[in-house]
Amino acid sequence: MSITTCECISPQEQRLYDTIEGKEDKFRKTHARVFKLLERFEGQKPRIDIERALYFTQSMQETEGQPLVLRWAKALMHIAENITVHVQEDQLLLGRAGCDGRYGILYPELDGDFLDIAVRDLPTRATSPATITPEDAKRVAEEIAPYWKGKTYHEALNAALPPEIHKLTYDDPEGLVSRFIVNETSSFRSSIQWVHDYGKILKRGFNGIKKEALEKLAALDPLSAADYCEKKPFLDAVVIVCEAIVLWAKRHAALARKKAAGEKNPARKAELLRMAENAERVPGEPARNFYEACQSQWFIQMFSRLEQKTGTTISNGRMDQYFYPYYRKDREEGLINDAEVVELLECMWVGMAEFIDMYISPTGGAFNEGYAHWEAVTVGGQTPDGRDATNELTYLILKSKREFPLHYPDLAARIHSRAPERYLWDVAETIKYGSGFPKLINDEEIVPLYVSKGATFEEALDYAVSGCTEARMPNRDTYTSGGAYVNFAAAVEMALRNGRMKKYGDAQLGEKTGDPRKFKTWEDFWKAYVRQHTLFMKTAFIQQHIIIHLRARHFAQPMGSAMHDLCMKHCIDLHQPRIPEGIDLGYFEYMGLGTVVDSLAAVKKLVFEEKKLTMDQLLKALDANFEGYDDVKALLRSAPCYGNNDPYADEIGREIDRISVEYGGKYSMKDLGIHNDVRYVPFTSHVPFGKVVSATPNGRTEWFSLSDGTSASHGADVNGPTAVMLSNYNTKNMGMRDRAARMLNIKFTPKCLEGDQGTEKLVSFIRAFCDLKLWHVQFNVISRNTLLAAQKDPQKYRNLIVRIAGYSAYFVDLSPDLQNDLIARTEHGAM
Amino acid sequence: MDARDDQGKEGLVFNIQKYSVHDGPGIRTIVFLKGCALSCRWCSNPESQKYRPELAYNAGRCLGLDKCVRCLEVCVRGGLTRSDDGMPSIDRTHCEDCHMPCASACPAQGIIVYGQKRTVDDVLNVVEQDAAFYTRSSGGLTLSGGEPLFQGDFALALLREARLRCIKTAIETCGMAPEDIVRQAAPLLNYALFDIKHADSSVHEAHTGVPNARILANFRILAEEFPDLPILARTPVVPGFNDTEEAIAAIAAFLAPYAHVRYELLAYHRLGTQKYHFLNRTPPMGEATLANGRISRLQSVALGILRERVQMP
Repeated sequence: MSITTCECISPQEQRLYDTIEGKEDKFRKTHARVFKLLERFEGQKPRIDIERALYFTQSMQETEGQPLVLRWAKALMHIAENITVHVQEDQLLLGRAGCDGRYGILYPELDGDFLDIAVRDLPTRATSPATITPEDAKRVAEEIAPYWKGKTYHEALNAALPPEIHKLTYDDPEGLVSRFIVNETSSFRSSIQWVHDYGKILKRGFNGIKKEALEKLAALDPLSAADYCEKKPFLDAVVIVCEAIVLWAKRHAALARKKAAGEKNPARKAELLRMAENAERVPGEPARNFYEACQSQWFIQMFSRLEQKTGTTISNGRMDQYFYPYYRKDREEGLINDAEVVELLECMWVGMAEFIDMYISPTGGAFNEGYAHWEAVTVGGQTPDGRDATNELTYLILKSKREFPLHYPDLAARIHSRAPERYLWDVAETIKYGSGFPKLINDEEIVPLYVSKGATFEEALDYAVSGCTEARMPNRDTYTSGGAYVNFAAAVEMALRNGRMKKYGDAQLGEKTGDPRKFKTWEDFWKAYVRQHTLFMKTAFIQQHIIIHLRARHFAQPMGSAMHDLCMKHCIDLHQPRIPEGIDLGYFEYMGLGTVVDSLAAVKKLVFEEKKLTMDQLLKALDANFEGYDDVKALLRSAPCYGNNDPYADEIGREIDRISVEYGGKYSMKDLGIHNDVRYVPFTSHVPFGKVVSATPNGRTEWFSLSDGTSASHGADVNGPTAVMLSNYNTKNMGMRDRAARMLNIKFTPKCLEGDQGTEKLVSFIRAFCDLKLWHVQFNVISRNTLLAAQKDPQKYRNLIVRIAGYSAYFVDLSPDLQNDLIARTEHGAM
Repeated sequence: MDARDDQGKEGLVFNIQKYSVHDGPGIRTIVFLKGCALSCRWCSNPESQKYRPELAYNAGRCLGLDKCVRCLEVCVRGGLTRSDDGMPSIDRTHCEDCHMPCASACPAQGIIVYGQKRTVDDVLNVVEQDAAFYTRSSGGLTLSGGEPLFQGDFALALLREARLRCIKTAIETCGMAPEDIVRQAAPLLNYALFDIKHADSSVHEAHTGVPNARILANFRILAEEFPDLPILARTPVVPGFNDTEEAIAAIAAFLAPYAHVRYELLAYHRLGTQKYHFLNRTPPMGEATLANGRISRLQSVALGILRERVQMP
């Protein structure tokens, strides 16, 4: 059984609700400030703050015709000059992108063409609702949305896609509703997940970057047209954006001073003055201590959110590395203690929790249900020269993760073969504590792979986790275009329906591969699947080709570029299609691996090998969504499944992976000029993708969600967590380069992790994960709620095994009475 | 003995369970062998007791005869009939020596067979799949049952083959086995989980069907003749049988002289009762449960005698 991990309610959040119910949280006393901060917004529906959208639009109206990067910088300056600045009660850090409490902001450059309607519907929509005042909704409709109609990237893309590409991409002429077959993801965000080189700004400050830009400007060839038309606007933009963020910071300083003057409480007054001093210095100048470093990073992070919508939120990078020099110096000089360090970090976590990455478009919303957020803070791993990188700060961040009551930040722990035992122990304890985080990312897979893709060892060893599972080299990565999410379960359906889908009726969406009743052998069926699969790949690659070139005309990010060595070196914006010396790590998503493998395995075994079913019986059962065909459904479910370390299923999985990787290897660099690698990371999108796929031969009923990432189908993995991991390993083509992240969710019962013994076993499990060179894993610790859900919906949880010394059984086989008994035990952690 | 002789040996296995973390050190795979000389009333694995394949029927998974009649179609012995409630009715007297085609015909795992003949090679191939996890956790193979030594030759062959493949071994035993088998098994083991259920032989016999003399003698063989073998003695604490301070104190006293032996109390649970129903048997313990707080009180009794040697679950 796999549970989507990036879901919103975690046991840690449960803890907060307990507190609201009057139970005293055990960490309240030691974390008084953050509890106070959190209580102010807990349970609030996010509010939409329109200021960013308003000032951005105002400025863009004024600058039409100028180079895009310059327009973007001017818009940021306009925002910096005008946006309301806030000093929050009790907060120790300054800088937010909108109003007090939980809030989201708008990016009309993405969805301005339907923003008026979307904003009107936002408060009442089913998933991730948000509130907006009627006055603000009116301003959106009158002052913001009209300007963007006809100008958004999304409209341009819709118009640019040729009909045969469009029909697999969108379900409507306007391109607002996805087909969820070959889904583009470039139009609901300005960039894929990203990490800045925060450390560089801590060291040099934006004034340092500005100085570099001015020197470069002075050194331009005054007679060169290229320098004048291309490099100069870029460098001008860098200068403006460096000044903009400093101005924005100083406005915060002024407000903090003003508040200090009126503050009665001497302790708070001192805090406000210190905050003002910080904001007067950073991020313009280099940070001199830990507090300034935090403040500088926070300004960068928040201003970056004002700059553009980075998919799944801008990530935080290797925080335990770039903060460490400041931490160590302050500790040595006795300027700060660990409790104060943790308090500052947690003030950042609160700020992250308040910012909601709003998805306005229906497709974007479906991709990221439940106010999803992946601001990945990376800890551990190796130094650029390949030594273990853990330090005191690593452990403080992990400790804070255990004690902070909300599911923030998204924490990623890098694992390598020489990771110290203490580190793994702390990671395991943190996972056990509740929400299953940190997620683990494996150096032993990523470092050599990135070297093979062109990075130096130093760059690869210094990668930071980005978004859900990606790894970034902040000064070497140069690819920002969202890739295609491809629904390969739909390819199975099309192989069964001669290129059609039940959901879309008579539309001939896929290849005419013929009536499967006439297929004589498994190879005939496999060929039909491969033809549909290849059509999807081709569509995805054409889509991406168009996207790469079109995006450059619509998006710029002068601040992100100012922080990137290669952009500065070549005076070119990060959103341009090609940055010299850059490594373009693009990817397309393989959606529904488990669903596809299990379906193909069932067809192969039951129809062609054992002949327990005819193709006709299968098609009738699928068409009827198994109604009246319960025995067929049960039979299909008994076929070999991915996630059980069963070679029968896993070999099909490896073959599917191979044809995907091979296609990428053949056409990525040659046609697209980028790596377009296969990746298995669906966020929450396996749910909407499932909603277009009718019943599949793995016994999955129609419109039910697909399997997620490289996890097994719902309830299909019946051999425990080691088998899930080995199936993941078995289906990888390790001799081939053109692969990217693989997300893997594994569940544990609390009993498996109980006590020091449980921690020790989890540590061994993590070491084995590292040995197997799997990209990613994260753990779900089964909670009481899961057992209750399994009681309600036994089909979905049919593989949930109860393991007790010398005994094990499927939970769903127990009588309700016994199930209740177990649920009661789980509350005491005794399962 | 030639390893090739071992690899082809067959035994009756009713389950192989990966990722076991409660029965021996590290991450382990438990191989459950069928057959046991005891018939404990509280047995949580009733399907393990008899040394022959057994037919089990899980009504919760059965689709019902209105939706599926695949089992009826293949039954040639007349063991399966349609009952009044529209579900299959099984008369197991017809199933002795049958190869039970109904189970493979059932698409829903409503009918299953407990106990498959498997070779040593086949079993160890499955066990070896998780080698990457054993390496990192000092885990390995655990033989359980039933009583694993009930199929003595097969169990020994499995242990030898595991040794050959450098897989660490443990056994979970009730102690009821011929002493020569015990002596042959001991040097092939890295760990033993040994059940001591009651110190009083007559009480033991009344509830398990056998006296405890052989069991205690086997325990002494392991503890005295193989002092390097780590032993965890375990007592399932069962209501109405040994859930008294006296009973636990007597067991602890028996263990006290063996300084390297650790001890653990396991609380009786009713989770196996469902499997009695699958086998069309009445759970002998009925609704009995352990009194609240009893386990912790008994643990303190054990702690008083064996101190840090008591392993807390």
